Amino acid sequence: MASKLRQSAVWPVAAGVLLTWATACLAGATGRSENIDVALLSERVSVQPGQPFRVGLHMKMKRGWHTYWKHPGDAGLPLRIDWTLPPGFKAGAIEWPAPEPIPTGELMSYGYGHEVLLAVTITPPARVTADLVTIAGAFDWLECKEACLAGSAQLDVTLPVRSEPPRPGPSAPLFDRARARLPRSPEGWSLAATAGPRAIELRFRPPSGVRPNGGTFFVDEPLVVEYAAPQGFKRSSGWYRLTLVPAANAANPPRRLTGVLVLDGLDRRKGSTIVVNVEALSGDPTPAPAQSPRRNWPRVPLYATLVALIGIVVVAALMRRAARR
Amino acid sequence: MLRFAAIACFLLFAPTAQASAAAIVGKPAPAFDAIDASGELIRLDAFKGKYVVLEWVNFECPFVGKHYGSGNMQELQKRYTEKGVVWLSICSSAPGKQGHVTGEEAKELVTEREAVPTRFLLDPEGILGKKYGAKTTPHIFVINPKGVLVYNGAIDDRPSTKRADIKGAKNYLTAALESTMAGKKVEIAATQPYGCSVKY
Repeated sequence: MASKLRQSAVWPVAAGVLLTWATACLAGATGRSENIDVALLSERVSVQPGQPFRVGLHMKMKRGWHTYWKHPGDAGLPLRIDWTLPPGFKAGAIEWPAPEPIPTGELMSYGYGHEVLLAVTITPPARVTADLVTIAGAFDWLECKEACLAGSAQLDVTLPVRSEPPRPGPSAPLFDRARARLPRSPEGWSLAATAGPRAIELRFRPPSGVRPNGGTFFVDEPLVVEYAAPQGFKRSSGWYRLTLVPAANAANPPRRLTGVLVLDGLDRRKGSTIVVNVEALSGDPTPAPAQSPRRNWPRVPLYATLVALIGIVVVAALMRRAARR
Repeated sequence: MLRFAAIACFLLFAPTAQASAAAIVGKPAPAFDAIDASGELIRLDAFKGKYVVLEWVNFECPFVGKHYGSGNMQELQKRYTEKGVVWLSICSSAPGKQGHVTGEEAKELVTEREAVPTRFLLDPEGILGKKYGAKTTPHIFVINPKGVLVYNGAIDDRPSTKRADIKGAKNYLTAALESTMAGKKVEIAATQPYGCSVKY
């Protein structure tokens, strides 16, 4: 009797320990490189057999540090993942949010400067016999500020298997935010491209009422454009022209133009990050006027410029006074 | 006062000149002179009649570490300098930036790695680097005996910092040198270089 009692008491304790452990695992394993905090997170709290779910590498950069988009521009390296999954589980491709331009001296890279969640869809098989599954991966990336360092982490996340639809976990808002930054192909947009010796032109017509006031095209193939060259932008009769400087060492003009177009002055819901994958016709487009270099300026100069202007006026007034004497 | 303000405004808002010089495959390689690690003035013209390899380097960059740590770069330097190829390693890291070296430091690092470039050129002002449009470390250029650029790009087709990736990679430098030295056209003459950005 006593032994039976003891035995029955063991189970709730074991379950409690297991639950605590599982909850800790749900939060995602974390690792750390010298300059980036990384964590492998799950969007949902459990796994339902046969139902795809998302996990993601959350990277929080130290001030000034950055990592790279799938195509890094002039220099850099994208994240590489080597998954270790339970039997029958499959991992999809990395879902890359639209990048930011990262100018470094003469060069231009494409990447992420503050934080990013790089999500991957995992598809479990229709039947899962285990009670808990562990999604593990070896993550390798390059992190740069002025200098570049190789970063890597072994991370995993363990989730309980349940037959009911999984509910969102505490990391779900991060996944929502990353999803909002994913390039899309919204309704009502027309895209076309022409490549020539002087410029590569991307033409687009947004739905009526959508009026971007500038834009950046992030090419995702090497040897197509000069990444650091300013991009031209012009609106004419409903269409917009965005022009790029062709890569100096390209053997031939590109036959397709692929990448992401990020437009300024738009609400994200109206589609500010657009997937570009169009045939590039052969022609000789003229470069559109370069966009004001404001986007490449650090944030301080507007303030600094105002101070300088006030300074000029003051100095000029003083000089005039001195001249009068 | 108006004129003064106008000039000041112009100076404030004048766009900065865009440096977009680059070495173009099939065209004459830009002429240059530079000081090497021993303080000697080296001119590209002096190597007319020879095959020349330019290799941009920054010994603190993990991509450079991949090729030197594995001995890959040294092996290539040895193999081709023995065949009469002139191999110039060039460091364009500015003073205070990652990988910057003085002549003495360069010599030490080269010796420590048992590297055997023909010369190690110092380009702290980035003049040579910008002339060629050197973007990454490593970034490789191959010049033929007529002084024409025949290759501009990556060392191989595996952009990574992992030494394990060297084996099985397609080495573009080897392919370019073997073709051009056999009197053949370089099949893949331009690729996108991979690595750390050059620290101008």
